[in-house]
Amino acid sequence: MSRRSYTIRDIHMALDGELPPDDREDYEVWLAANPDMKALSVRFAADRARLQGVFAPVLKEAIPERMVMLVATGDTPGRSPLLALLGRVPWRAAAVAAVVVASAGIGYLAGLEEARRAENGNQAIVERALQAHTMYAAEKLHVVEVGADQKDHLVGWLSKRVGTPLVAPDLTAEGFSLVGGRLLPASGKPAAQFMYQDRSGTRISLYVTRDAVNEETGFRLYEEAGRRAFYWLDGGFCYAVAGAVPENTLLSIANAAYRQLLEGIAS
Amino acid sequence: MPESAGVAARQGSPRVNGLSMDEKRTAILAEIPRMRRYARALVRDRDAADDLVQDSLERALSRLDHWRTGDNPRRWLFTIMHHLFVDQMRRNARRGANATLPPEAADNLAAAPSVPESFAVRDIVDALDSISPERRAAILMVAVEGFSYAEAANILGIPAGTLMSRIARGREELRGLLDDAARRRTIRIVEK
Repeated sequence: MSRRSYTIRDIHMALDGELPPDDREDYEVWLAANPDMKALSVRFAADRARLQGVFAPVLKEAIPERMVMLVATGDTPGRSPLLALLGRVPWRAAAVAAVVVASAGIGYLAGLEEARRAENGNQAIVERALQAHTMYAAEKLHVVEVGADQKDHLVGWLSKRVGTPLVAPDLTAEGFSLVGGRLLPASGKPAAQFMYQDRSGTRISLYVTRDAVNEETGFRLYEEAGRRAFYWLDGGFCYAVAGAVPENTLLSIANAAYRQLLEGIAS
Repeated sequence: MPESAGVAARQGSPRVNGLSMDEKRTAILAEIPRMRRYARALVRDRDAADDLVQDSLERALSRLDHWRTGDNPRRWLFTIMHHLFVDQMRRNARRGANATLPPEAADNLAAAPSVPESFAVRDIVDALDSISPERRAAILMVAVEGFSYAEAANILGIPAGTLMSRIARGREELRGLLDDAARRRTIRIVEK
């Protein structure tokens, strides 16, 4: 039998450690019997974890010197010089304790951090690919640096600069023809962009740059504000096809580009 | 204001013994990282946040006698910081500026951040920025700083019931904002 009825209010209280200990078991039973409430509880907990995660790094930042100086020398001039204050034993003890606690969790956290950094890195690349697409697809006169009429030169040049054998995929089956390409900066590294357009003038582009993470992935779809890109990682490079075209169209373009790039690397 | 006998008994006699004063300063110094975390989440702009902490420390040091919350100065410092934050919001409201930022900070905000934020971080920061400062403060006090409802209500100077409804509404609002952000931008794994 329930001691009382529970509501969303109790979810907040439970999350914040404010639920009376006597109610906890009963609350868990209620939660288990109400999937909607359970989902809400899980969601609020996840949001809280994100919130905590975003601001946790601030704790590890060095304290600005102006604050240390203020507190150390503050309102009684001539007393409590900074060095004397920092030299006191509790500080060293606290520092040692902090290091011990930190190293216990460090292996696990390092793994998480690694995964998160890799994911963010890929997102940054695909966002750059989309930005580059948006910028140059809108160009009327200077959409490319080297035109499709010099395709061999274009492909050779970009392959050399990016550091992997590239091909400018043939996308005629998908209704797109090569306009040309250009070299772009991608946080200090070169990136290649091949631009295509269909008969109505709609443009899509293929973007290739070296990636710090050497892994292989399937296609991932990235969407933002009506623009989308499929991207994948392969052999230390990140590839992205971007454009404001329907998902299916973009996926078949990504498939064709992937196959032809693979053949290009093999040949 | 004279210190209560109880506090004096717990802490020794600060006026006579210089060591106690140093202990107070050491304890305040130890709270700065948390104060900065709270301020950063509260006002977003890094410099404006640190200014709020600096002002709070200045005020705290000028009133060390008022520290009467026992050994841990955290609640006392957060109360001071909250009062300054409220003052700042009122000033900005009168000026018609952004509710939580001085005008110069709002300019900085428009510029791209020097360290690119991941999307996940940006979504949280944007969502926090979009809810009212009252709800934001309530949520941060409890969910990030780990104060109890009673402590947080005390620091914010509001009844516990008000605190609870701010937390509940604030969390609902955040959830909606994060969902909106996620809908605008999705990443899915697709078969190759």
